[in-house]
Amino acid sequence: MIVGVKDSLKLIGISAISFCAVLVCAMFLNYLIDVNLAADMAGAQAAALYKAQVLTAKVVVAVTGGCLGVAAMIMLFFYIKNYIDAHKNELGILKAMGYSNFRIALHFWSFGFGVFFGTALGFAISYAIMPEFYRAQTEGGALPELAIGFHAEVLAYTVIIPTVLFAVGAILYAAIKLSRPVIELIKDREKCSDKMCREKPDDKPFLVSLKRSVLSSKKTLVFFIMFASFCFSAMTQMSVSMDDYAGPMLMAMMMVIGLALAFLSMLIAVVSAVNGNAKTLAMLRVFGYSRTECCNAVLGGYRPFAYLGFAIGTAYQYGLLKIMVELVFKDFGVPELKFDYVVMLISLAAFILLYEGMIFVNVQRIKKISLKQIMAEN
Amino acid sequence: MIEIKDVVKRYGAGESCVEVLKGVSFNIEDGRFAVILGASGSGKSTLLNVASGLDKPDGGSVIYDGENISLYDDKQLTQFRKNKVGFIFQQYYLLPHLSVEQNVKLGADLAKNEDYKSIITAVGLGDKLRKRPSSLSGGEQQRVAIARALAKKPQVLFLDEPTGALDEQTGRQALDYICGLQKELGFTMIMVTHNRNIAEMADIVVCMNSGRISEIYQNQTVKSAYEIGW
Repeated sequence: MIVGVKDSLKLIGISAISFCAVLVCAMFLNYLIDVNLAADMAGAQAAALYKAQVLTAKVVVAVTGGCLGVAAMIMLFFYIKNYIDAHKNELGILKAMGYSNFRIALHFWSFGFGVFFGTALGFAISYAIMPEFYRAQTEGGALPELAIGFHAEVLAYTVIIPTVLFAVGAILYAAIKLSRPVIELIKDREKCSDKMCREKPDDKPFLVSLKRSVLSSKKTLVFFIMFASFCFSAMTQMSVSMDDYAGPMLMAMMMVIGLALAFLSMLIAVVSAVNGNAKTLAMLRVFGYSRTECCNAVLGGYRPFAYLGFAIGTAYQYGLLKIMVELVFKDFGVPELKFDYVVMLISLAAFILLYEGMIFVNVQRIKKISLKQIMAEN
Repeated sequence: MIEIKDVVKRYGAGESCVEVLKGVSFNIEDGRFAVILGASGSGKSTLLNVASGLDKPDGGSVIYDGENISLYDDKQLTQFRKNKVGFIFQQYYLLPHLSVEQNVKLGADLAKNEDYKSIITAVGLGDKLRKRPSSLSGGEQQRVAIARALAKKPQVLFLDEPTGALDEQTGRQALDYICGLQKELGFTMIMVTHNRNIAEMADIVVCMNSGRISEIYQNQTVKSAYEIGW
């Protein structure tokens, strides 16, 4: 087996995100269906309240499901790319022996396990806490209590379809990544585009050239670090800002989901950044470059992109909430949305601590590995 | 002068502890070419790592011009490697995304050597400055590694099986070039190899067997890379 269940278990980040997404979406989808059924039988006054609840549920399902689904898919592609890069010799040998790209890629279906595990658990837990959630929605007596119904379509939308989609996505993406000449995979020979090889004099100091080349050779990692920072910024700030519009229970859920997503994606991004550059770091250390010089040259290049991701995340969450408040909730008398500088500063401080702390911890981890080990592993 | 005194190196702990170096001692005077000869698993590469400051010994000392580098902390060892030593490895370990010129600058910038291009020309790669390692042959890649090490102007050059991945002709060329430079520039050179023929090129030969020195001798006549067998 090319990709074992053990490999798919490493997708704990994707499992966690799938869990969070399904936990929220299954609860709101189920509630949406039950509220719709109740609204059909309600009088005119209650119908307006039901309509508000249906709208809220739709927005939450779209925002949470959409954001977390995209995040999980990006994480999956990132993991598959890293997996193929790490095992390109073995995969190249299989291709050399005559296995087609698609036949090899088919084995990547097992990456769907990670998603299935997360979604199934999220679905089960959502039903466990649904009574409490329903009670919170009808608190105050404006609406009658709703009975929890089991809807098979919720199971299909939140567990079966995502699992199949992710397994198919994994196979297709792996097939695309494998479609390169065998020799490139076996001999670690990279395709050299005209842009990469252009004859251009380089008078810059070595460490400056290195920083630039580290970034240009690992564009996916740059994107992922930016994305992780974006998630951290958007999810932490959005969860606090939504308090006025969605209630404390939803705010707490968004906060937990936001922090879990932010922490996991940051962890994966930083670990990948340090591991992906371990060989370069080791070689610089052998030649006598100090640890500070190494870290600045190899890992420092990612920093501006991480902070840019944070800034975009801040703007995104404010823009999205503004649109929600002005378009979706305009008829329900909710307060005007103001940009919360305090929350932004707290989120930024937490981000700095998390990002810089993770870089520091991972560099310390690399420090303990001997050059011989690093060279052998790469 | 490099003095290796009773060096002990162990890997693992408890029952799985293996003593790779069991009290190794020898001296190398400045400007000499020493070969550490031994079969696979004899401890020769570990000895090179300890002698070059890449690894610390568990016992004994490594002394450069009276300074015991085994007592150095990580910062001091980095400074030591920066100022004193150069490395050439069997697998080259070039940085794949950098050009030939940039790879050589890795060493040159440390020694503030602005004349690094003459070294690239000297190793015969003057017309391949902007090429990436992946577009070069094995012999050319090893020459980049040689230029990178020499651009650093090391006082001591360590070589770990530098011809192990090269064919005979390219291997002889590489050795001839390195030895010529060593004689011209006068740096100390310590090479690890399992090839007895290469040992005939050295001033001093340190033979290793199961973590101990089995023999040390000086060659009366030193042969060139084209006079030895392969």
